[in-house]
Amino acid sequence: MKKFTSDIVIGLEIHTELNTNTKLFCGCPTKGSEEPNTRTCVTCLGMPGSKPVLNKKAVEFALKLCMALNCEISPELVFSRKSYFYPDMAKNYQISQYEIPLGKKGKLRLGSGKEIGITRVHMEEDPASLVHPAGMKESAYVLVDYNRSGNPLVEIVTEPDLASPDEARDFMKQLIIVLSYIEIFDVNEGIIKADANISVKESGYTRVEIKNITGFKEIELALMHEVNRQQNEIKNNKQIHQETRAWDSEKGVTFSIRKKETEEDYGYIIDTDLVIIDITEKWLNEIKKHMPELAQDKVRKFVEKYRIKRDDAEIIASDRQLAEMFEKVAEKVDPNLAAKWLRRELVRVLNYNKKEISESGINERHMIDLLGLIEKKKITDAVGQQIIEKLIEKPFDVNEYVKKEKLEAVSDFSELEKYCKEAIAENPKAVEDYKKGEAKALNFIVGSVMKKTKGKATPKEVNDIILRLIK
Amino acid sequence: MNVPEFVEKIRKNEINIVEHTEKIIEECRKINKEYNYFNTISDGLALKQAHEIKKLIKNKDKSIQNKRLLGVAVSAKDSICVKGVESTAGSRILKGYRPLFNATVIEKVISEGGIIIGKTSQDEFGFGSFSVFSWFGTPKNPFDKERSCGGSSGGPAGIAKKANFPHISLGESTGGSIAAPASFCDVFGLTPTYGRNSRYGLIDYGNSLDKVGAIGKSCYDAALLQEAIAGHDPNDSTSLNAPADDYTEIMEKPVKGMKIGIIKEAFGKGNDKSVEKYVNEGIDRLKEEGAEFEEISLDLPIKYGLATYYMIATSEASTNLAKYCGMRYGAVEKLEGSFNEYFTKVRSANLGDEAKRRIIMGTFARMSGFRDAYYIKAMKVRTLIINEYKKAFRKFDALVSPSVPILPPKFSEIEKLTPLQNYMMDIMLVSPNIAGLPHLSVPVGYEKNLPVGMLLTGDHLQEGKLLQLGSVFER
Repeated sequence: MKKFTSDIVIGLEIHTELNTNTKLFCGCPTKGSEEPNTRTCVTCLGMPGSKPVLNKKAVEFALKLCMALNCEISPELVFSRKSYFYPDMAKNYQISQYEIPLGKKGKLRLGSGKEIGITRVHMEEDPASLVHPAGMKESAYVLVDYNRSGNPLVEIVTEPDLASPDEARDFMKQLIIVLSYIEIFDVNEGIIKADANISVKESGYTRVEIKNITGFKEIELALMHEVNRQQNEIKNNKQIHQETRAWDSEKGVTFSIRKKETEEDYGYIIDTDLVIIDITEKWLNEIKKHMPELAQDKVRKFVEKYRIKRDDAEIIASDRQLAEMFEKVAEKVDPNLAAKWLRRELVRVLNYNKKEISESGINERHMIDLLGLIEKKKITDAVGQQIIEKLIEKPFDVNEYVKKEKLEAVSDFSELEKYCKEAIAENPKAVEDYKKGEAKALNFIVGSVMKKTKGKATPKEVNDIILRLIK
Repeated sequence: MNVPEFVEKIRKNEINIVEHTEKIIEECRKINKEYNYFNTISDGLALKQAHEIKKLIKNKDKSIQNKRLLGVAVSAKDSICVKGVESTAGSRILKGYRPLFNATVIEKVISEGGIIIGKTSQDEFGFGSFSVFSWFGTPKNPFDKERSCGGSSGGPAGIAKKANFPHISLGESTGGSIAAPASFCDVFGLTPTYGRNSRYGLIDYGNSLDKVGAIGKSCYDAALLQEAIAGHDPNDSTSLNAPADDYTEIMEKPVKGMKIGIIKEAFGKGNDKSVEKYVNEGIDRLKEEGAEFEEISLDLPIKYGLATYYMIATSEASTNLAKYCGMRYGAVEKLEGSFNEYFTKVRSANLGDEAKRRIIMGTFARMSGFRDAYYIKAMKVRTLIINEYKKAFRKFDALVSPSVPILPPKFSEIEKLTPLQNYMMDIMLVSPNIAGLPHLSVPVGYEKNLPVGMLLTGDHLQEGKLLQLGSVFER
């Protein structure tokens, strides 16, 4: 048993869906028709005589995760039966892993650099989903939809290394970045759920489990609530019991579902319907070939090689497509300029249009051309922003576009001075105000010049000219 | 008329297959009234198949030349799923259950032209040695209706003997359920190597032990059906990737020079004297044919086989039976209370005592705190047992023992047996089953009109050698 020192001790058990095309032990599709019980067969319905056949793709996905989390990988893949009766179970046992998990003794680093131990990573099948037609408590009956039954899941169990709800949230965030990098999880549609074990120093670390928290933002909320609850109970001279609680996300509270006298007994046995599969070096090497460089390695590289700010590096690296674009762009233009534009402008425009880079049609060529023009002051920042917005709609050749639309910055001094003189003449009140000491009035005149040039002038330059003219 | 002669006549259109099938269905009904060999007679399916074959013959379809079971009646143990035909594995909890798919072995039989005539009676889920633990009637010994057919494939062995028309049975063995009834019913029962025949569509007892096998009136019949159903099946992960052998050809080879080990511990104490007498006569027959014998001690399998078997088989069975809870198929009860109360009610009312006994035993053996001492220990002993056999097969082509230590007992005698005495019937049979070794029960004689069977056990995938030896006793 570990000796705890922190005020709060948290360990997580995270279940995440693998985005394979077919289920873990049959050929039924994992996505498609939402009509209940249409993506089913005799195997995922648990019909007598049906047998499971392993989906190798799912194993490869799980192996990628083990590699990404630096786990020791078992030389053999062994499945066990976890027995318990529940209406969402097709066979009243779940095919899972027990003695020999696929991966163990791994680690994942938080944003702060703190390492969190991974106890184990194992594979299992998803049960069916229960539908309560009139709500959880009011329904007179429950319907079962087996579309989800047999979907591939991985369970990731951490050591109790997390010392705050904030760290738990960050762990989930880092994990989701890893999952999306190795492309085994659908960030938009995939389900990620966690059970959290939490205890506080004041209670002598009596462990309470919170079941079934969905999504990483909810985790922090549930844990914050639970820490408060436990600390308040102690303050009020009440005892913390070892128990299992559930999180009600609408009310923002946890509630007790059962007291834990002993550990549950699942009576695990080897599932001999499935054969033990060797995880060979050859297989692992084949998978390794397709492993991308991971986010945390990219952050390090961005800071050390490209000398950009850690904060920028982390944000860019959190999205694999953005990170890969950055690397290519930073080879051609000033990395700091690239970081600023990718992190701020590109992400802003993508978010506004609710698009991924791959869906937008914008590629590194566009960004290199665009930032090249900005770097050489051929176009202004304002024009650059406009071009990105246009690129999202429909990609085009940036250099040609700038020429065709005559968007080059006004660099002819006499032309610029002409616009400035016009603006001063048209705004005598603003000039007067400025002279009286209202600094803001100057901005008004600059803005007027910008309008005349359609953004093709640099505000700083315009500013300088006007100041000189009205002195 | 034997099976190959019959198939030839069907091919030549000398027998009207539809009329023949109607006649044998009638015959099965008659036999069944007296002997209880069928849980379901699938007359609808059988006649549909007969009409299809008739059409093939009428059209002189080329495929009929390759169909090895053309027109031959095949019955299937009730635990083997047949699409649309009630398949209960002898349990009331599956009453009314009609599978949505055919077991792979059924698919293979049908594609070979075999006609599925029905589902045969058995102990509930295969739990028994005498077929008395059935919800749908106990099959009676073809030699004496007061006596047992053996189990759990009692119906398959009984009808294999009793059918007076060309017919072969599909049986299933987990811990001796083919050899024991074959011995009691005077037929050839071949349990194949584990994984040799697909288990897809077999209602599970113990997944690491279950094997579908053939039971035939003649050694040839068993070899023929085994030939038809063997081979790899992508739907069963445990199915072996080894091509099926031509068993009917291999069995013709002479046995001269084959080396056979006589299992020392299987003779003497505990056997009925007459059983031993006829098994020794069988050994003499093989000697006459030039087979060489030597004694071998298999201490470990005989000593620990039974305990190991019951730990593993019941552990697996207790998980396999969990799915029967009145939710998706089979028996239902009045819906009330929590799901736990409902499941309990369905299972209490619709599982038999022996099934409950094995569920409790198996659940106990895998509970935390006991798991290491029972389930895990048994898994380890299993490996030791396999190793001991493997060592023996470096020297021998086959091993010999009685199939069952006794003659078919009377039902009145069986009633007096304790569960442990019941389990002791399979003492010779559990170890080859634990080790996944093929074994063949061969009829070797009669004591007071009751049959005696001799057990031949072979190395993995050596079904052919067993059939070679068995054919010496061909009728």
